[in-house]
Parts: sequence; C-alpha cells; structure tokens
Amino acid sequence: MAKHATPLLDQLESGPWPSWVSDIKQEAETRAKNVNGIEYQIPVDVCEDVLGLMELTYVQKRTHWKHGGIVGVFGYGGGVIGRYCDQPQQFPGVAHFHTVRVSQPAGKYYSTKYLKDICDLWERRGSGLTNMHGSTGDIIFIGTTTPQLEEIFFELTHNLNQDLGGSGSNLRTPSDCIGSSRCEYSCYDTQALCHALTVDYQDELHRPAFPYKFKFKFDGCPNCCVASIARSDMSFIGTWKDDIRIDQKAVQAYIGGELKPNAGAHASRDWGKFDIAKEVLNLCPTKCMWMDGGKLVIDNKECTRCMHCINVMPRGLRIGQETGLSILVGAKAPILDGAQMGSLLVPFIKVEEPYDEIKEVIEGVWDWWMEEGKNRERLGELIKRQGFQKLLEVTNIEAMPQHVQEPRHNPYIFWREDEVEGGFEREITEFRKHHQR
Amino acid sequence: MDKEAGKKAIVEYLTKKAKSKSKFYLKDFYEVIPEEKPRDVKNLVNEMVKDGTLEYWSSGSTTMIGLKGTGKQAAAEDEA
Amino acid sequence: MAFISSGYNPDKPMENRITDIGPRHFEEFYPPVIKANKGKWLYHEILEPGVLVHVSESGDEVYTVRVGGARLMSCTHIREICEIADKHCDGYVRFTTRNNIEFMVDNKNKVAALKADLESRKFIGGSFKFPVGGTGAGITNIVHTQGWIHCHTPATDASGPVKATMDVLFDDFKSMRMPAHLRVSLACCLNMCGAVHCSDIAILGFHRKPPMLDHEYLDKMCEIPLAIAACPTAAIRPSKVELPGGATVNSVAVKNERCMYCGNCYTMCPAMPLADAEGDGIVLMVGGKVSNRISRPTFSKVVVAFIPNETPRWPTTTSTIKKIVDVYASSANKYERLGEWAERIGWERFFEKCEIPFTHHLIDDFRDPAYYTWRHTTQFKF
Repeated sequence: MAKHATPLLDQLESGPWPSWVSDIKQEAETRAKNVNGIEYQIPVDVCEDVLGLMELTYVQKRTHWKHGGIVGVFGYGGGVIGRYCDQPQQFPGVAHFHTVRVSQPAGKYYSTKYLKDICDLWERRGSGLTNMHGSTGDIIFIGTTTPQLEEIFFELTHNLNQDLGGSGSNLRTPSDCIGSSRCEYSCYDTQALCHALTVDYQDELHRPAFPYKFKFKFDGCPNCCVASIARSDMSFIGTWKDDIRIDQKAVQAYIGGELKPNAGAHASRDWGKFDIAKEVLNLCPTKCMWMDGGKLVIDNKECTRCMHCINVMPRGLRIGQETGLSILVGAKAPILDGAQMGSLLVPFIKVEEPYDEIKEVIEGVWDWWMEEGKNRERLGELIKRQGFQKLLEVTNIEAMPQHVQEPRHNPYIFWREDEVEGGFEREITEFRKHHQR
Repeated sequence: MDKEAGKKAIVEYLTKKAKSKSKFYLKDFYEVIPEEKPRDVKNLVNEMVKDGTLEYWSSGSTTMIGLKGTGKQAAAEDEA
Repeated sequence: MAFISSGYNPDKPMENRITDIGPRHFEEFYPPVIKANKGKWLYHEILEPGVLVHVSESGDEVYTVRVGGARLMSCTHIREICEIADKHCDGYVRFTTRNNIEFMVDNKNKVAALKADLESRKFIGGSFKFPVGGTGAGITNIVHTQGWIHCHTPATDASGPVKATMDVLFDDFKSMRMPAHLRVSLACCLNMCGAVHCSDIAILGFHRKPPMLDHEYLDKMCEIPLAIAACPTAAIRPSKVELPGGATVNSVAVKNERCMYCGNCYTMCPAMPLADAEGDGIVLMVGGKVSNRISRPTFSKVVVAFIPNETPRWPTTTSTIKKIVDVYASSANKYERLGEWAERIGWERFFEKCEIPFTHHLIDDFRDPAYYTWRHTTQFKF
C-alpha cells in the first residue's frame, strides 16, 4: 500500500513511453524492501514523499519547492543546488531535497562497474533518483539532506576518483558530442579536448570567478549534435580546410540505388528513387558541386562545409584531412535581451595538445569579461554592449570578412583618434584664418 | 599584494554594509581593493572562504559572497 | 538509521581533502571496439530505426542499439541498464546528449538478442522500459529541465508533459518517416536551463502573473536590496506597507506592467512567490535548429502564446504538437527542417495549415530584436 494516493500521477503510468512515475514507484519499493540491508542515511520513504508531493503539485498546479542558497561543499562555490519543500510536515522525507551535480565523463561512456558504484553511494546517501543527465551534461543526484553533502563529496573523491560539476557564476561542466570515438564526421577528438579543458580549468569550475555562468561545449562537426552554437558562451565546432574526399564509385552506388541516402535515415517512407540533382546538388547552399560526365565535382574553395552532401552520401564523401575547429562565442538563451547564437571569432584553429593556442583565446576572453562584465552579464551581452571590435582587440584577432554575415548597415563608425590623420586636437585660430565667424 | 590588508578591507566593507545586505557579487570586491587584478581578488576571496571568514551563496545561476553565517535566509535555512 | 561517516571530519574539513580532480577519464569507459577504432571510422548506416552500424577502416564494426529513457531515472533502473550491458555489451553503455541510452556490440549476430531483450522489458504500469528508436529522420527523445520534481520557479512540470508528448509521438520515435530530424525540447520556465530556443518544437513553461508579496514576512525572510537587485527589468522598489494590524513594515512594491515573470526575485526572496494555477502554462515555439546543414542555425518562434497546465496529461499541448508534426510530415520536402518548411511556405500559411489561431501576442514587442521580425516587404500570401 503506497504511503500517498496518487490518482493523477497514476495516469502517467500508461502509454508506451518509459514512465518516470512507474520508475519512482519501483525505487520506493526497492527501498522499502531493502533486500541488501542498506543503512539509508536519508528517510527510507523519500521516494514515496516525492510522489505524494508531486501528486499535490498536479492537483494545485504550483511548485512546492523553495530555493536554498547552499552551494555545496566546503571551499567550492558550486556543484550543489539547495532545495527545501514548503510542506515539510506532510512530506518529511523531502524536507531537504538538494541536488548534487557530478561531473560526467567526456562522451558519456560508462562502465557498469562505475554506474553501480555511484548507485551504491546514492542509494545510501540520497533518494536513489537521478537525472542521466542534466541539461548541461552532469550526472544529477536528485534529493539529499544537508548533512550528507560533505559525506557524498568525500566518498566521491576518495573512493570513486570523481569530482563535482559546476553551478553558479562558475565555468559549468563542459560537455561534448560523441566525436571521433564513434563518428566519421568528427573533425577532432572532442573527448580529449573536453576532458583536458575541464581538468585544466578546475579552479574556474569550482570557485566563482566570473560575472555569471560560462559554458564550453564541443561539437565534432557543423551538424552540432550538442547544440554548442546555441547554448555555450564558447563553442568549439569541428571543421576542415582542404577538400572533401570523394569516392566516385560509392557516389555512383547512391545514384544507382545500391546505397541508401542519408545512411538510411529516411527508410520508413517511400521518397522515390534517389535523385542526386534534387537531393544534393540543388540543395547545396553555395551550389559548389555538379556532375561532370558521370563524375561528381566539388569546387571546394566555394564550399562552406554545411555537411549536407556528406550527410546524404556518407560512403561517397568524407570530411577533409586538414581538420581543426572554429570558435564561436556568446551564445545564450533569450533571457534577458533576446537569444544570441554563437558569433564566429576564430574561423580555424588546429587542435593539438596541449591546446595552448585555444587556451590563449579562452583566457583573453575571460580576462576581459572578468574585468568589464557587469554582474549577471553573459559574455554575449558584453560583446553586444562593448562591440565585437572590442572582443577582437582583447583576443588579438584581426578583423576579417568571415566575422560578419554582412557589413554594417550604418556609417556611424566611432573612429579611434589614432586612426584619423592628424588626430582630434585642432587649432581653432588656424581654422579662423580661413573661415570667418 | 598585501593579503592581510586585502582581507581586512573586505571584512570591514562587509561589516559596514551588513545592515542593508549580507551578500555581494565578486565584482563588488574589485572595488574594495581596486589595486588588485580580478583573478587575485577571486583567489583572495576563496582563501577567505577556506579559512572560514566568508561563505558562498548560490542562486543556482549566480553566486554571491558574504560573511559566514550572516543574512536572513541563512538563518531560515538552518532551521529547515 | 545510524549516521555513517564517510571518513569526513567536520571539525577539520581540509583534512585529507581531495579537490579539483575533475571527472573520470573517458578512456576508462570506452568499449574495446571503440578504443581500438577511435578516429578510424569510415561510415555508418541506420539499419532500422534505433539500430546503427559504424564501420571502421580496420574492418571492425560496432552495432549500436539506441533506446529512449526518461532522464529522471532511479538507481533501480540504472542497475537494470547495467544488467543488460553486462549481459550483452561486456559491461559498457553510453548515454546521448538527448537522454537516450546506447548499447553497443561488436558483432552483428549479437544485435537481435540485445534488441529483443530491451523491447521485452516493461514497467509494472505497462510502459516500455527501453523502447528502441530515436534515429534518423524521426523524432528522438525530448531534452528537458527539472519542472515540478525539483525546481522552485517552474511554470509547468517537465517530466509529465514530456511523458505525455512522447506517448503521442511514440510512433515517430520508432520510425523515420519525417522529412528531416525533428527535435523537441522542454524548459519549465523562461530562464531556460534547457536552452530550448533553437528546437524544431519547444515546449516552454511560462508564468503570467507577477509575484505575490508576503509583506508581513518579507523583511524578516529576505534582504530587500537583494530582492530589488535580482529583478532584470527593475520592476521592484522598496516600500513601506501598513499591515492590517496597523504596524508599518519595510517591504517592496512591484511595478506589475514591467514584470516579465522570471522568478529571479523569488529565488532571492521566498516571500515573493509567483506560481499560480491559472497564471502558469505552456508556450509553444517552433522552427529552430542548431545544425549548420543547408541553412543557418535559427531560433524557434512562438506560435502558441498560452496553453493552460492540464494535468496530468496536457492534452491541448500534445494534440497541438501532434497536429504540427503531422502537417509538417505531409507537406515538407525531403531534408527540409520544420523551420525551413515554414519559411518556404510562409508563416501565414503555417498558421493556416496547422489550424493555429494567430493573435497579437505572437507579434514581438520585446526590446530590440522585435523590429526585425515584422514584415518589411509587400511579399506576403493571402
């Protein structure tokens, strides 16, 4: 018999998609039975109280959580989000219900040994509920009490060689796409770069250094599977400089119908016979490819590497071999002055350990933002406020046409004095010799 | 830099402001010791967190800093 | 429930402290076939919805079976994932950015048993534990935020609407009939922890009422200057308020017409709650994307200004989404994303085809970007 009746939540148990209500109920049951004799460090019926509280929320349609300013563990400025329930008498199991962010491994690959280890820890010291994973990428432990926070951190670091993730005005836990570990499109080793920068910038990740949050994300190619271009203050997107590699025989096999276009991604529907002109050549945004006597020709100089042709014919076309990444900066969600997409800052940079060139760009940007950024001002907003030119100045990057979609719409250029011949200071008496008052 | 003087200035500033508010952004401390670089101020603040003088307070999205144990919300949370 | 110490000494927090070690190194967790072939992959193919093969220049192959998961997941469920991975995948498993789980095997003849095992597992309530799908030109898992399970400023739940929506879109999770990828995301308030603003379809929780003011307790619970400073639109100012009992207290006043309902003040001051059963609900946005394929990455646009929170299954929200998905699927060209299709046919036609009423709320009036969304041409459709 469940502790709280949950008639509304129960309606989310039907239907084919995995039901989190069923899952929390199963966790509640596991805890109640406790066949492994775990010495639970928070109330055993925490999951039942979660369900009871959620049911109440579904009836009243108002959240029952209050924010707590607790930041986590001693010396760290992030990694824990404090939560208190506003009905603690009715639901004592969730009176404190803090989350802990655990820094996920790059690429989100796991051994089952590791996953079982973190389950052992979290079942004992927390609710047994998680997010795999949070929006930023961390493993999220949902729901524990204040006295458990240091204990969890101690066990994570001492027994599992595992640190917390970021929150607050910190570098947030960086995250990456699957990269070259299992994707032929990837222009660099996203896991290697993501892990190296995460480790190198641990201080920024744990101790508030910035005016606001700061996110790194790593996409191996312009398909942008981790959406770095939309949601990271600095996004690292793989690209290449040389020619797309063509296997003419495979291209013919697509034309002939032996190979399925787009790696079979459209297989559930009959789209008719593959038509290379209609499906590839005419959709190319720069029209830089054509057929010449049965051979596919690409004018690579005009290609903007949108990936469409490669996506459609992955066995016929491959990314180039002179690979690297582009750095775009300033992406953010709409709050406050509207959403911003990442803006191209560095068109191409080689990805070579120990990544000094990349770090030079990062640190130049950080120094500027730490100095000039207002409280709660994202990097993108600072760039808007002080101008893209200022960003170029602090990163020592020359302006180039690649930086803009189009040149400015107004001539209101604020010239620097040293750019104007003779400077700003002039002699009025000299002027008056030739111009009466 | 004279760390002790910096620490003293920060504590004085926070104590003086304690009546109106208890939590400040890191940026506010730049102005308390304007001669120091942002990164050094951050390191100093963190040292003061470690030695138990200051503590962080987080809204989840941003972090603030105050004298340890002060503020109305801190009191409310200890009871919770 | 005896307290068990981890070894941490609260009197000496710095004793034996280990900090700044970061995450575990990813190489520990690579399945052998991944480790051996990293950087050598030649091509991939989607064999059927949810099943991929990647072929290496070494001749090795890795077969991936992708399953959907609720990102809100219990340890019991994770242990079941481990049991499957131990049985079929030599003890390795991977999660995707969009909350899917990937089970990988190094041989084609291991796929059928793995897939059958995954598809056979159901929760007692009847839903699949591990539905196979989420690949290619279909609808993959919804990325989302916390919602009512953990957040203090949500305007809607996250896991509930996601479950309800995925139930409605389930056939398209398991098939690839769409013209292109279709990505659905949910954020439970306008702060968008989950940056949903570039999704083909974004479900966004939205408050519509300014905060309430608990004058009697406000100055006791909160630091008024912090509440004032928290407001991004400067809508909050200090005020003195006379309580019904006659006492005068320090409090705040909110300029309601400036309030954008972000909840930042509630974060700083629990005496300013803003959640409301009638006020809160869902905004639908469509037509965004993050890929650079063919066209530029684009932001999603608001097409439904408000849908009430209809617990427990949000039927108006899910049926509106289903309608948009079906019209898109039947009208767009192959490879055309939802936003590219809407741009091609024109947004006036989008509203007509999807049978969504257009109201003044859908014309941008918020700060600078607004002007650029108005029509600056005589080209439009009747």
